[in-house]
Amino acid sequence: MKPTPDVQRTKTATDPDTLLELEKICISYHNKQVVHDVSLKVKRGEVVALIGPSGAGKSSLLRTVNYLEKPSSGTIRMGDRVISAEARPTRKDLIDLRREVGMVFQGFNLFPHLSALENVMLAQVHSLGRKKEEARERAYKELKHVGLEDYGDRNPSNCSGGQQQRIAIARALAMDPQLMLFDEPTSALDPELGVEVLNTMRRLAKEGMTMLVVTHEMHFAEEVADRVVFMAQGRVVEEGDARSLIREPQHPRTQQFLHAVQDR
Amino acid sequence: MEVLQVVSAGIGTTLLITIGGFALGAIFAVPLLMLRRSAYRPVQWIAVAIVEVIRSVPPIVWLFVIYYIIGVDVIRLDTFQAAILGFGIISAAYISEIYRAAIEAVPRGQWEAADALGLERYSLYRRVILPQSLLLTIPPAATFFIGLLKDSAVASVIGAADVTFLSLQTARNSGEGLTVFIVAAAIYLVLSVPIAAIARGSAAFIERKLAIA
Repeated sequence: MKPTPDVQRTKTATDPDTLLELEKICISYHNKQVVHDVSLKVKRGEVVALIGPSGAGKSSLLRTVNYLEKPSSGTIRMGDRVISAEARPTRKDLIDLRREVGMVFQGFNLFPHLSALENVMLAQVHSLGRKKEEARERAYKELKHVGLEDYGDRNPSNCSGGQQQRIAIARALAMDPQLMLFDEPTSALDPELGVEVLNTMRRLAKEGMTMLVVTHEMHFAEEVADRVVFMAQGRVVEEGDARSLIREPQHPRTQQFLHAVQDR
Repeated sequence: MEVLQVVSAGIGTTLLITIGGFALGAIFAVPLLMLRRSAYRPVQWIAVAIVEVIRSVPPIVWLFVIYYIIGVDVIRLDTFQAAILGFGIISAAYISEIYRAAIEAVPRGQWEAADALGLERYSLYRRVILPQSLLLTIPPAATFFIGLLKDSAVASVIGAADVTFLSLQTARNSGEGLTVFIVAAAIYLVLSVPIAAIARGSAAFIERKLAIA
């Protein structure tokens, strides 16, 4: 287990390689605390996998990064931006933050009343203020990026789950995010379709995208992630280099979890 | 045949009162909805109070209040205007609840996706939520419209010359009560059926349009 760098935390100047820094995040639902004082850093270009049993607080933690989940306390640093739960961020602060962070959900959440291309165009036009033509071109490019250039006119309901998830990835990429969040992106897919999505994510990682991924896919975590963070009961139990953490976990709780998952 | 001719002269009035009341209600419902969805509890309570008061007073009482009290002492309203205003107020309460249910029926993931993409509140509603919820309002709104069509008969008590008013008059004059009211019932039925069909058809359309595999 890494020593927690308490000394560094008081300094305001962060290391320029760090893109995202979560500091002492606490999250509660209905007075029940689900995340306890978690700190986490993601460097530019790094892929970090968050693993752990259900209810460990992985998704909650991920969702605080773009403030879909409001932490009860703690600070989020994203590049030069600092959002602190104590300082009550305005909606404008959150919008600015969210425009830099792409998010891919477990349930895809494509807009069902729009075609694939329109899904990818919508926020480019109505959030970033791009011209329609520019947005269309970019949307087409991103669909091609995820291997769906022929699917622009399709409605999400006429696409497979794997295709929908790739459209959702294209939709997030079109916003030029500095960081991509993935919240169990393959959990709603059967294994065969999950592979399509994992391959797309693999490609993104190779292209140098900074990614924070909540996943149950241990092979993917080991192969693609630079670093793995293991959480249980709302706390970070162990974190480290992906390969060594998954192959040689140090903490008994991590060992227990990985045994259980890999014995399946 | 003669009965049909006399009674069906009221169709125009029946339809105009219904459509006018509904349209007015659809407009009045918007500010009511905004109050109801306010972030501030006390503001929400105001909306709840308005809706509850409107819904718990019978339509006939509303029409009397508007026609005999407001319509005479405050601003002059003729029968027709009073009926449309009355049904507009009543409809506003029900339609605002239809709007609210439709907005709240849009899955949480849609709101989250729109938020995650950094959409401003206006774009979030205009581009993501309303296009989906507007479709969802069609079936309950059509059902409400049919109810209103029948409730509009109440306007006959303040003298609006609608289907019911003419039926009452004809029945009294001719003594052919049964025939007259069977004809009236048939007219209401014929007016309702197409709207019910729209409701049913739109429900199927919405299911296809908003379905995700």
